[in-house]
Amino acid sequence: MNFKIIFRVLGFLLFVEGVAMLLALFISLLYQGYDSTAFIISSGINLSLGGTIILLTRKVRPDIGRHEGYIIVSLVWVVFSLFGCLPYIISGAIPDFTNAFFETISGFTTTGSSVLTDIESLPHGILFWRSISQWLGGMGIIVLSLAILPVFGIGGMQLFMAEVPGPTPDRISPRIRQTAKTLWGIYLIFTVAEILLLWVAGMGVFDAVCHSFTTMATGGFSTRQASIAHWSSPAIQYIIIVFMILAGTNFTLSFMAIKGRFARVIKDEEFKYYILFILIFTAVIFIGLLVSSHLKVEQAFRDSLFQVVSIITTTGFATADYLTWKPVLYMLIFSLFFFGGSAGSTGGGIKIMRIVLLLKNSYYELRRMVHPQAIIPVKFNNTSVDSKIITNVLAFFMFYFAIFAASSVIFSIIEPDMESAMGAVATSLGNIGPGLGNVGPSETFVHIKPIGKWFLSFLMLLGRLELFTVLVLFSPSFWRE
Amino acid sequence: MKVVIAGAGEVGTHLARMLSSEDHDIVLIDDSPEKLFKINGDVDLMTVAGSAHSFQDLKQTGLAKADLFIAVTPSEERNVLACSMASYLGVARTIARINNSEYLMPRYRAKLNNLGIHELIYPESLAAKEIVASIKQTGTRQLIEFSNGKLLLMGIKVREDAPILNKPFEQLQLEDEQIMVVAINREGRTIIPNGSDYLINGDIVFFVTTRMEQQRVFELTAKKPFEVKNIMFLGGSRIAQKAIEKLGDQYRIKVVEESIEKCEQVAGKYGNALVINGDCRNLKLLKDEGLEKMDAVVATTGNSETNILGCHLAKTLGVRRTIAEVENLAFMGLAENMNIGSIVNKKLIAASYIYRFTLNAAISKVKCLTASDAEVFEFIVKADAKITQKPIKDLGFPDEAKIGGIIRGEEGYIAGGNTQIKEGDKVVVFTLPSGIKKLEKFFK
Repeated sequence: MNFKIIFRVLGFLLFVEGVAMLLALFISLLYQGYDSTAFIISSGINLSLGGTIILLTRKVRPDIGRHEGYIIVSLVWVVFSLFGCLPYIISGAIPDFTNAFFETISGFTTTGSSVLTDIESLPHGILFWRSISQWLGGMGIIVLSLAILPVFGIGGMQLFMAEVPGPTPDRISPRIRQTAKTLWGIYLIFTVAEILLLWVAGMGVFDAVCHSFTTMATGGFSTRQASIAHWSSPAIQYIIIVFMILAGTNFTLSFMAIKGRFARVIKDEEFKYYILFILIFTAVIFIGLLVSSHLKVEQAFRDSLFQVVSIITTTGFATADYLTWKPVLYMLIFSLFFFGGSAGSTGGGIKIMRIVLLLKNSYYELRRMVHPQAIIPVKFNNTSVDSKIITNVLAFFMFYFAIFAASSVIFSIIEPDMESAMGAVATSLGNIGPGLGNVGPSETFVHIKPIGKWFLSFLMLLGRLELFTVLVLFSPSFWRE
Repeated sequence: MKVVIAGAGEVGTHLARMLSSEDHDIVLIDDSPEKLFKINGDVDLMTVAGSAHSFQDLKQTGLAKADLFIAVTPSEERNVLACSMASYLGVARTIARINNSEYLMPRYRAKLNNLGIHELIYPESLAAKEIVASIKQTGTRQLIEFSNGKLLLMGIKVREDAPILNKPFEQLQLEDEQIMVVAINREGRTIIPNGSDYLINGDIVFFVTTRMEQQRVFELTAKKPFEVKNIMFLGGSRIAQKAIEKLGDQYRIKVVEESIEKCEQVAGKYGNALVINGDCRNLKLLKDEGLEKMDAVVATTGNSETNILGCHLAKTLGVRRTIAEVENLAFMGLAENMNIGSIVNKKLIAASYIYRFTLNAAISKVKCLTASDAEVFEFIVKADAKITQKPIKDLGFPDEAKIGGIIRGEEGYIAGGNTQIKEGDKVVVFTLPSGIKKLEKFFK
C-alpha cells in the first residue's frame, strides 16, 4: 500500500478546499459579516497544511492502485468534512463540533439535512459556504480535482471509478481528465443558467446563486428556514423543478443534448423510466391531494410535482410539508426515498438504472420459470446486460436494504419512535435531506443525540459513495495483501 | 495523439496499455463486452462495444478526429476492411495486421494504399525474422542490427565463468572503448546502468558494439559461437513456416507437427525439411528423431506450455541453442528463469513495431528487448534537434535512458560522454517505458 501518495492526494484536496473557503471569505467581506475572520483562519489552516503536505511528498511514486483509490476517496470526504466544519465552529454559527461536522458532511454528501433552527440569522459567508460545500460535493470532489489538478496521472482512473461507481462505465472522452472537465463544464453551464433564470424570476442574486448551487448538486440546503416555500412565486418553483430534473439526469445525456444529439436522449431507457416514474407519482399524488385537501388545482399540481421531483432526485427542497398529507400520500413519498436520480447524475439513492435492471430481471425470472431452457438476457438500451452487472446490482440492493434495516433497528434505540428512525436512516442513506416523523421537512436534525448524528453522518458517506467504495474498506480481504 | 485500436486481443490490449500510459487518447473497439470490461477497469481509455467493420460502430469511436487507426483483430480480412473503412471515415493513418506475406510485396503496396491501408504489420513474419537472427547468431539471446550491422545490440546471459563479472563499467569502458553495456536484466528487473555498476552471475546483459568488436564481447562473456547445422522445429505453425522459408537451404531441418494437414502443407512447401507427424510432447518420438543431436531447437507450437517444456527438455539433453515462442505474457518472466534460451513473443514484437507510428520524432527502428520492459529506438537526428546542441554528458539526458551509439555515414561508433551528435546521425537509444516521453523532446 502506497500510503505516501494517499497523503499527497489529500494534501492537494485540502488545498482545493482552502481555495473554496477563500471564495466564501470574499462573500463575507462583500457583505461585511462577522464571519470573515473565521474564513481567514480556516482557509489559512487548509492552505498551509495542504501546501506543507504537497511539499513534503514531492518525490512520491505517483501510482495509485485500486486499494489506494478506495482509501483516498473514502478518506477525502471525511477529511473534507473535518476541515470544512472549521468556519462554522470558529465563527460561532454552529459552536458544537458534532453539529458542525453533521452540517458539513450533510453538505458535502449533498444530503441537505440541517441542524440549523434559524438560518436567516446567519451571515452571508456562512450561508455561501453551506451552498458551495454542496456544489463541490455534487459533481464530486475527486472529479473536480481530476479536472483541474495535474497530479493524478494514471491513478486518476481508479479514483474516478471509486467516486463515480454507477452500474456501467460511461465515458464521454478517452481521457478521464477530459471526461471530468466536460462533466464540470456542463455542471457549470447549468448552474449559471439557473442563477440567471431565478434572478429574472425575482429571486435576489445571493439567494439565486446559493439555490442554484444546491439544486444542481441535488443537495437541498436553502438560505431560508422555510426552504423554497419562502418564495410563493410559481415561476421560481417551476424553474427549480426543471433544474432538479436536469441535475437528476445522466450528465452524459445532457452532454449529448447540448451537442444536438436529441435522438440519443429520447431513446435512452433510463431517462424514459426516470420521467415515467416522476409522472406516475405526480399524477397519483396530485389526484390524492385534489380529493383530500382544498388546494387549488394548479397549487396541488405544483406541490405534488415539486415534492416528487425533489425527493426522487434526492434534492430535498420543500414547498409543502408532505407529513401533513394523508398517510397514503406520504407513504408514496417515502417509497420515493428508495429511487434516486439517474446513474451519472448528481443525485444519490439507489439510482433509476439499478431499479429498472432489477425490475426487469425479476420479471424475466417469471418467464424463465415457465421456460426453464430459455436464455433470456436482461436488455437495457437494446443491448444485453452482462450478468456480472446484474449480480453487482443485486448485491448493491441487498446491501442497501440490509443496511437500511439494520440501521433502522440501531437508530430506534437512539431515537424513540420507529417512523422517525426509519425516515432519518433512509434520508441519510439516500442523501435526500428531510425524513419522516420528527425529522420531516419542517423539522431539523438538531434534537438528535450526538451519537445519532455521527451514525447518520456515516450513512450519508456510505450512500454518497454508493456503498461499495466504503464497505470494501471493512472487508478483511481488502487489507490482506 | 488520438488512437483508435480495433481488437482487444493481446496485441490490442498491450498496445492500448502502453500508449495510454504515454498520454495518448485511446479508444478501443471490440465486439466482446467482457474483454472490454476487463481492460476498462485498469487503463485510462474509452471502450466501444461493436464491430470493427461496421460504419455505425466505427463512427462511435470518433474516428474522424483520430490520428491513427490500428486494426489488430485476429482476422486479416476484417483488419483490411476496417482500415479501408476507417480511411473513408477520415482517419489520418491506418495500420492493418495481416497474415499473408503477399500484401507486403512492393508492387501491391500502392494498391493497398489506394484502398486506405497505409501500413501493414505481419507479426508472424517479424517473429520468424527474430528466430532466424538468433539461429544465425549463436551465443546471444537477442541480436539486433542497426543500419545493416554497423552497430549491433547483443543480449547475453552471463554465467559464473565470464571474465566480465564484478568489474565496474568505468573500467570496462577504458579497456574496450567500442563495447558498452546499455541495459541489464537482473531477477526480472531492468536496470539502465551507470559507471559504478557491475555484472553478477545470471544477469542478462545488453551490449552495444560494432561488428569488429563482436568477438571481444564473446570473450568477455565466455561464450563460444558455433555453427548451426541441424535444426528441429517443434510445431509447424505459420511462424515456423516463415522461419524455414527465411533460413534457406543450407540447414538440415526437421519439423515435428501433430496435425496431418499441416504436415502435408509444410512438406509440400519446403523440400529441405523432413516432416514428422507426431505429438511434440512425446519424448520418445523426439529422442528417436535425434533431439539431442540437434544444434538448435525452435518450439513454435500454438501452445506456450508445450514450447517451454520442449525447450527445457532440449536444453537438458544438451542442445545448445533453443528458442521458444511464448505468447502468454504472464509466462515470460517465468520462462526467462527456466534456462530455456531465447524467447520470442510475437505480440510484443508487433506492439513495438506499431509503436513508432505514434512518436513524433523520426524513428527508423523500435524493438523491445525480450525478457525486459526496456525498448530500443533508432532515431534519425533532425536539424536543430535539442540533442545536437551539447555533448552527451551536458545534455541532462534522463536517467531511465541511455545513448548506446551513433551511426554517422558508413561508420558506427559507441557513444561516450564527449560525443557530439550531429544532424543526420542515427542514434541508438535505450529506455525504460517511463523515459520514452522525455526522449521525444530531445529529438524533435
